[in-house]
Amino acid sequence: MPGPSQNSRVILAVDDSASMRQMVRFTLESAGYRVVQAVDGVEALDFAKNSAVDLVLTDVNMPRMDGITLVRELRGLSTYKFTPMLVLTTESGQDTKQRGKQAGATGWIMKPFSPEQLLSTIARVL
Amino acid sequence: MDLAHLQPNPNESTDDTVMMRVATWTPEQQIARLLDLCEAQMESALSESDVAVEALIKSFSGLIEAGQALGSLGEKTPAEAGAADLSRQLDALRKQTAAAIVAFQFYDKLTQRLGHVRYSLSALAMFICDRAKSGEREQWKRMFSTLRRLYRTEEERELFKLMVDGATAEEAREHIQQSTLTLRTAPTGEIEIF
Repeated sequence: MPGPSQNSRVILAVDDSASMRQMVRFTLESAGYRVVQAVDGVEALDFAKNSAVDLVLTDVNMPRMDGITLVRELRGLSTYKFTPMLVLTTESGQDTKQRGKQAGATGWIMKPFSPEQLLSTIARVL
Repeated sequence: MDLAHLQPNPNESTDDTVMMRVATWTPEQQIARLLDLCEAQMESALSESDVAVEALIKSFSGLIEAGQALGSLGEKTPAEAGAADLSRQLDALRKQTAAAIVAFQFYDKLTQRLGHVRYSLSALAMFICDRAKSGEREQWKRMFSTLRRLYRTEEERELFKLMVDGATAEEAREHIQQSTLTLRTAPTGEIEIF
């Protein structure tokens, strides 16, 4: 499990559900990560263009811009070419998962997440 | 049982009288009104529970902060007989917190699923009012196909398929019981790294 050395790592958590964002924040901050939040792809993209982020954790279905489009847009930016991007979603369809993979997602996590598993996955891809 | 209170009051406007007043009364419109009512009730219930969950999250946030503060205090405490006990208690608190984080996420899932049901009811209400459409088998097939795309979780898809394939209420209930059992043994989702 990540310790205090993770303090400088910034994770961008994107979800239109306030309760989900809170659960992600609780989990990541307890492991020492710094969490910034966005309510949809548009807000996340805007933030990522203007600030450095070490990992993106995004939902799929969101208003204005979905998570797969966000991943594709970020991968198009030179600064985010190699940044880990995890999708956290209830979407179980293989087609959607395949679209996520093609867009450049690093991994797919099905909701509900277990805090321990989420942290170990993040530690693995960071 | 005294059912007198259920008798209509002649001075009051009942649902029946309201319905009779509608000039263009059709059975389809009445079904659509009931579907709209179901949708509105669901929206109202969800709004109410949003408020409750917000309060729960706030309280949960306080608990986590208290637990973290306790953890920091525990690290500073010299090794004494009580330190082991404190460590055990903190471990139990961490496990409970993790379980609560998983449980909270089901509220999000519930909101999403009810949102899909609301949309389905609304789509059905509009559909049945269009007699030209609702009288055609092909149009019903199209509507089902549109609604199928709406359901994104495995549970929603399975249930949808089961019902569209003509399962009885008893079969659906059995399926739900089985899903709930699976959920109890494996409450969290899978992870795949590409």
